[in-house]
Amino acid sequence: MPADSPDKVIDRSAKLVFSFFLSSAGLWLLMAALLAYLAAAKLTDPFFLSSYEFLTYGKIKVAQANAFVYGWGGNSIFAVSLWILARLSQAEVRGSVFLVFAGVIWNLAITFGLLGIMDGHMSGHEMLEMPTEVWPAMLISYLIITFLALVIHRSRQVRETIAPQWFILAALLWFPALFLIAWNGLEINPARGTLQTVLSMWYGQSLVWLWLTPVALGAAYYLIPAILGRTIDKYYLAIFGFWCIAALAPWSVVHHLEGGPVPMWIPAVGTVMSIAMVFPIAVASTNFHATAFMDIGKVWHSLPLRFVIFGTLSYTISSYIGVVFSLPAVAKITQFTIINEFHFNQRVYGFFSMIIFGAVYFALPRITGREIPKAAKSFHFWTSTLGVLMLLLAYLIGGLTHGVLAGQPSLPWSSSVIHSIQPYFLITKFAFIILAFSQFVFVVNVWRIIFPNPFVYFSAENKEASV
Amino acid sequence: MNNLAKFTIGIFFTLGMAWLAFVVGARSQFGDLVPTSEVLDDDGSVPEDAELFPVDISGMAKQGAEEYAALGCVTCHTQQVRRVEAGFDVERGWGKRPSAPRDYVLQEHVLLGNSRIGPDLANVGLRNYSDEWLHQHLFEPQSIFPSSLCPPSPFLYQLVDEPVYSDIGIAPKNNMDKNRTVRPSIRANRLVAYLQELKQDYELPEVSFIETEEELVEEEVISSAGGEAPKWLQDQIDTGKEIYMKAAPGGGMCFACHQQNGEGIAGQFPPLAGSDWVLGNKERLIKISMYGLMGEIEVNGVKYNNVMAPPGIPPGSLTNEQIANVLTYIRNDWGNSASAVSAEEVATVRASLKGRAPMQMFTSAELTTPIQ
Repeated sequence: MPADSPDKVIDRSAKLVFSFFLSSAGLWLLMAALLAYLAAAKLTDPFFLSSYEFLTYGKIKVAQANAFVYGWGGNSIFAVSLWILARLSQAEVRGSVFLVFAGVIWNLAITFGLLGIMDGHMSGHEMLEMPTEVWPAMLISYLIITFLALVIHRSRQVRETIAPQWFILAALLWFPALFLIAWNGLEINPARGTLQTVLSMWYGQSLVWLWLTPVALGAAYYLIPAILGRTIDKYYLAIFGFWCIAALAPWSVVHHLEGGPVPMWIPAVGTVMSIAMVFPIAVASTNFHATAFMDIGKVWHSLPLRFVIFGTLSYTISSYIGVVFSLPAVAKITQFTIINEFHFNQRVYGFFSMIIFGAVYFALPRITGREIPKAAKSFHFWTSTLGVLMLLLAYLIGGLTHGVLAGQPSLPWSSSVIHSIQPYFLITKFAFIILAFSQFVFVVNVWRIIFPNPFVYFSAENKEASV
Repeated sequence: MNNLAKFTIGIFFTLGMAWLAFVVGARSQFGDLVPTSEVLDDDGSVPEDAELFPVDISGMAKQGAEEYAALGCVTCHTQQVRRVEAGFDVERGWGKRPSAPRDYVLQEHVLLGNSRIGPDLANVGLRNYSDEWLHQHLFEPQSIFPSSLCPPSPFLYQLVDEPVYSDIGIAPKNNMDKNRTVRPSIRANRLVAYLQELKQDYELPEVSFIETEEELVEEEVISSAGGEAPKWLQDQIDTGKEIYMKAAPGGGMCFACHQQNGEGIAGQFPPLAGSDWVLGNKERLIKISMYGLMGEIEVNGVKYNNVMAPPGIPPGSLTNEQIANVLTYIRNDWGNSASAVSAEEVATVRASLKGRAPMQMFTSAELTTPIQ
């Protein structure tokens, strides 16, 4: 038997961890899909399940965002980051037991956090709604995972680092810093008055910009050249793009406070920095698309890459839309409307999740040696595309309608303004149903690959490990 | 980039700059705001004996804030009136002035929110909603605003067979429970207490009231012309609605029988929405509003047999102007659209009835015969 290639050895070392995080991520994705459907259904029929307090709209909506970001986002970040770091470092994943242990704690913490939200212990801080009791468990388990990811990186064979490593490492390190800052400012030394809101909004928005976004960008920087077999075009710009995001994104996120009861410099700085975000967006866009369009045929035929390019295109387009919407004249209309939903869903579905799907379809066969049926992948791609486009268009057009009508004080609120955007909620409900089907197919296939025969998995794993 | 320690310092430096600004800087700028008086002395000090604002909310309301946070109301409701140049909030009547950071310094839960599927609630306590109205809205928002997306919260209420004083007189939609009334739980009462105390009705040295040309547009009020109502008409409708909804001296408590939505209760109280009586002859309406009505009456072809005591608290106490306003209101809401009633018209009718014994209720026959 010939010696395995180094990549194979690494992939095998990552198998347990990758499988664990990916299968948990899948379950959270389905949970989030179910909650998203319930929330959307409640907006089309307020009496739907209205007698159950734990399913009231405010709780469901918040639980959905948390399940999505921490459950699906967190677990898939761990899976993809650990594997990409191991591959790029040419080092094996070590301490799998600790990683799985920390992962179990992380998942338990989120489970209890969501139950806490539904049971009426919501904190009211943006993206930190889970009760404070679970925060320590989240932080500790996260730090264990990050530490072991850094161990992989430190034992790398090549000293030079490249773009995917910067983005992924930065994301891994930023999260605990953000979390601690928010924890300190909201619970340990709670700030008074609207300072709380400045902080929780800064945290909630930074989570998307400094945690989900860099991991997805890092994965794209890894996958595009790896699949196409060519280097990133104008790669020298990547470092500029990275530091632009690092320096500008934490400032830009507070523009949502425009006009509110905070000192005027806060949203003003946010707006200026949001406009400056065109630079990193342009860099990422150039890097990805200039490379991809050199070989567009190959992009089309490689399903993982199709997902990734969908994600990067959506990132580029909607980030530019975001820049336009942060201009004060436009923000006056779009602020507080369901355009917020457009931004959130674009980030987490249209961009982050699509790239993660691509990464999973690329990594899973290499790690497990088994391939997901092509028809299933294709179904997943097209239904995701359809669902995401429906969802985003409905929120975008609905949000503009919402804003324009709300801006006319003579129109009564519910009978005119809200009544006019109800059709868009109906569209989002159907979009969430499509997405739920799509994700169900994805998760079932991932589980079937990971656990081809659930009852012998662990014994088989042990045998493999002892070989 | 290749040295992990240097890289880490670099990325934490960029994050730290934003942290310095938004956390440390903002805290030193406005982290120590305290309540102050509406107007300061010339030397910038708070005058002695001046009332300080914001005032702390009651204990009941604080518990209500917990409920508000736990139910996730902030998902759809903001609590901030934006500056005039940044939005339409003051114009829409959501506040007398923009909110200021100082308004929130005493709040434990600062729930500014960032989404408005529901209206802003920073000043919901200023909108003259009665507790009953708010309870009804929490119990079933769609009974007040049919196209509202607000989730009903029946879990905060109990259905009881024998009403007591504190129960709210609303009938649940479900036919089976029609004869039962709705009793608020302590949690519902806390929530209502909190909503009633949400108000920024004072000026601060840094922000004063804004005079608006536009009058507040009350939700769901449809002007008679279908478009913009003239200000005097809108005033009459608004005041009329208050009387219609008010269950205290000076009010008519009309909603108790004819319901908030003007639909009445089938078989018991006739509807006002689309009613041939309401949209028809004014004199009859004025007479009913002064003396009440008893016995059989046919409305839109349906017969009712009940007693309507002279409206007002105490009965029959509505003034000419109040009657004019409330009648104008019922003729111009729920899709109704008919000419306004003036206080002079009421005065004329009142003069013509001189000598009629007080509280002597009209009958349908008495009202219809002379007209035909």
